[in-house]
Amino acid sequence: MTPPAQAAAERAALAPMPLIAGHPTDVQLNTELLSPILAPGNAWKVLVGLAAMGTSMLVVGLTVTIARGIGMWGNNQPVGWAYDIINFVWWIGIGHAGTLISAILLLFQQKWRTSINRFAEAMTIFAVMQAAMFPLVHTGRPWFAIYWLFPYPNTMGIWPNFKSPLIWDVFAVSTYFTISLLFWYLGLIPDLATLRDTATKRAQRIAYGVFALGWKGSSRHWQHYRIGYLLLAGLSTPLVLSVHSIVSFDFAVSQLPGWHATIFPPYFVAGAVFGGFAMVLTLIIPARAVFRFQGVITDRHLENMAKVMLVTSMIVGYGYLMENFMAWYSGNPYEAFLFFKSRPFGPYAPIYWTMLACNVLVPQTYWFRRARTSVVWLWVSSVLVGVGMWAERFVIIVTSLYRDFLPSSWGMYAPTWVDWFIFFGTISFFSLLFLLFLRFVPSVAISEVKELNHELKHEQAHAGGHA
Amino acid sequence: MNAAPFTGGRTLMTRAAVLGVAGLAATAAGGALDARRALYAYLAAFVYWSGIALAAMVFLMANEAAGARWYIVVRRLLESLITVFPLLAVLFVPIAIGAGRIFPWVDPVGATHAAIQPWAHGEGPLAVHLWEHRHPWMNLPFFLFRAVLYFAIWIGVAALMRRWSLSQDRGGGASVKQAMRRLGAGGLPFVALAMTFAAFDWQMSLSAFLFSTIFGVYWFAGSLVAAIAALILASASAAREEPLRSAINTNHIHSLGKYLFAFTAFWAYIAFSQYLLIWIANLPEEVPWYLTRTDSGWKGVGVFLALFQFVLPFLFLIPRSRKRAWKPLVFMSVWILAVHYVDIYWVVMPGLSPAGPRPSWMDLTAFLGVGGACVAWVVSRLRGHPILPARDPYLSDSLHYEPQQ
Repeated sequence: MTPPAQAAAERAALAPMPLIAGHPTDVQLNTELLSPILAPGNAWKVLVGLAAMGTSMLVVGLTVTIARGIGMWGNNQPVGWAYDIINFVWWIGIGHAGTLISAILLLFQQKWRTSINRFAEAMTIFAVMQAAMFPLVHTGRPWFAIYWLFPYPNTMGIWPNFKSPLIWDVFAVSTYFTISLLFWYLGLIPDLATLRDTATKRAQRIAYGVFALGWKGSSRHWQHYRIGYLLLAGLSTPLVLSVHSIVSFDFAVSQLPGWHATIFPPYFVAGAVFGGFAMVLTLIIPARAVFRFQGVITDRHLENMAKVMLVTSMIVGYGYLMENFMAWYSGNPYEAFLFFKSRPFGPYAPIYWTMLACNVLVPQTYWFRRARTSVVWLWVSSVLVGVGMWAERFVIIVTSLYRDFLPSSWGMYAPTWVDWFIFFGTISFFSLLFLLFLRFVPSVAISEVKELNHELKHEQAHAGGHA
Repeated sequence: MNAAPFTGGRTLMTRAAVLGVAGLAATAAGGALDARRALYAYLAAFVYWSGIALAAMVFLMANEAAGARWYIVVRRLLESLITVFPLLAVLFVPIAIGAGRIFPWVDPVGATHAAIQPWAHGEGPLAVHLWEHRHPWMNLPFFLFRAVLYFAIWIGVAALMRRWSLSQDRGGGASVKQAMRRLGAGGLPFVALAMTFAAFDWQMSLSAFLFSTIFGVYWFAGSLVAAIAALILASASAAREEPLRSAINTNHIHSLGKYLFAFTAFWAYIAFSQYLLIWIANLPEEVPWYLTRTDSGWKGVGVFLALFQFVLPFLFLIPRSRKRAWKPLVFMSVWILAVHYVDIYWVVMPGLSPAGPRPSWMDLTAFLGVGGACVAWVVSRLRGHPILPARDPYLSDSLHYEPQQ
């Protein structure tokens, strides 16, 4: 039998960095985690100003598009889909990390999720909002979109094409948004109640009190809360898979080389989680520095996220490998042309190689602990991965279309200024929403962190005593 | 904690060994009557059992890589499954010898494969053309070389994982755990790629018209459900005696049940993705593989799989109480192990009889032969070592596994 002391020593040698630094009390945690809301700084105002200025680009881009039509965009034959779909897929993918953290990691009993889940869930909601904008505007007349997208019995007997994955998208994305929003809000309720009780200003007390829905923290409340939370987690988990699978069907149900691949559904899901975790790191590293959250969002969290990115990067790399192998193995000359000529050596080759370098090479550094624990490298590499995943969608969409089957139908694609305005506009709008979130809502799930804190203390008190 | 070597399972081992030898001998005798039929039966059995061992290895490595603590109490059982690769390498020999009678690409224009797809008129020349194109990859020497490479990877990784685990019993300390975690993570890409290309070599290449990028994942997904089912059966059986009787609590059972539930859905997801995308695109060089399986006597088998490898297990496993007791889980595991064989059969056998299933007694003897040998081997590896890794630093976490939900 192992002497408990030896087991404890071994566990200490293996133990990763702590989940919560130091031994904070509940009051300390409240003060620390609510400070961005109750005592905001000036940096926040500057950032909001910048984001609002960027959002005006979105307003301009959308106004021009709606006033003059989608001819203001760069896509035309043969590249009929471009920035609209690239950005749609990119944004919706980013959302997936939030759901993975909040739902799947919960089901896998991963305690480290507690400090970052609120953050990631908010990111999901804001990212899905950006994503939904693109297909809606791409309909040309979005005010009619409700007629076109949703099936409803009408006197003309016209229905959307139920065989089209685009209509599946409508259901998948709207379900996803609804469930994500409910999940996020349900998780917020106990913290909103804490805010209501901690706030000193009357207006704050009333506002947070309304949204706290009369939460008292009784054991009855907690019991219902837990059941609801677990049920929503169970509902969200298949959604992580289904939403991006259906997005991948937008391409894969076609017969086009580069789009028609059976690996697309799981490979898109992995890519979504990959890009999403990159975005979480890109946002959380500066946020935790500014708000001094290092005590609850520790290096351990960053390291774990790097590991998830390594895994998903390997799956994405596996997808690339399978596509290339089958392009040759299938004996299809069009597949071979796309994968061995047009993509790696065609006019868009730099984007293709950027994709490979950012999505496959950069994350290989995460095999090493030094890279996983270097905050600077994590931030730089997460930005690179964000770029790489955007490049991947560009490669999939544009390079599969620009060389049509007949050379007479070949054509290049270039985005217009409107495309750029809308793209940067969504980034700014996303940032703006995120900054508002940081300022008005507890960005770390305080009640869950407190619970984890108590659990860890309990564990420490009994460490080694079990063996 | 009981650290005495495990001595149970003698009856199971003996019976499995007898069944294995008898099954293999009967299949070999069948081979004298109809070599091609026997080889197909043998291939299906081999793919079935090796898939389970491979998925078990991936599951073990993933758990170590993730630093999982809950499963330490059943880790030795899981580990015993992956000791089987040396035996599987030996059992691969008949396939290597008989490859010419199994795989159409060995001799695409040969008489053996004149009736590759009898329903698909006029596609023979296309098949020949495709095999000629693939010749640099799909030729016998390279095929055998790859098989050697796959087994080298699997045997090597499995041996290291096993050796380190056993060295824990002698007080290996934290460095051993660290090594297992590192190999668990670092070895996964190699094991997974070898499994993928083995799926292409041993199953996909039975038809000229299948080149599905998801096919490796398909084999893995089905095998993983079966591997978890095998782990459940092993755990339920070992938990009848000490030390596992007191070591395994309801939460462990629940976690195993949840994995069975989740990966049943995962298999359906992968199977549906592959089917939908090939069916809806309807490409002439791609769709014949599914047409053989839907516009023929195989249609019923496909429907059977959808209903009984997904719908029924999924509905059955939804209630929480069924995931927290051995009895329903054991029932469902036996069920899954049975329908997973139908799944493999449905992938492999249309290469032999495209018109519809033509079961033979050799299917049974091959299944029992390979399976009996594997089970006997696994139990023999399990014996003689403690069934609980008593010195794993996280054993106490696993013994006190009480998640909140």
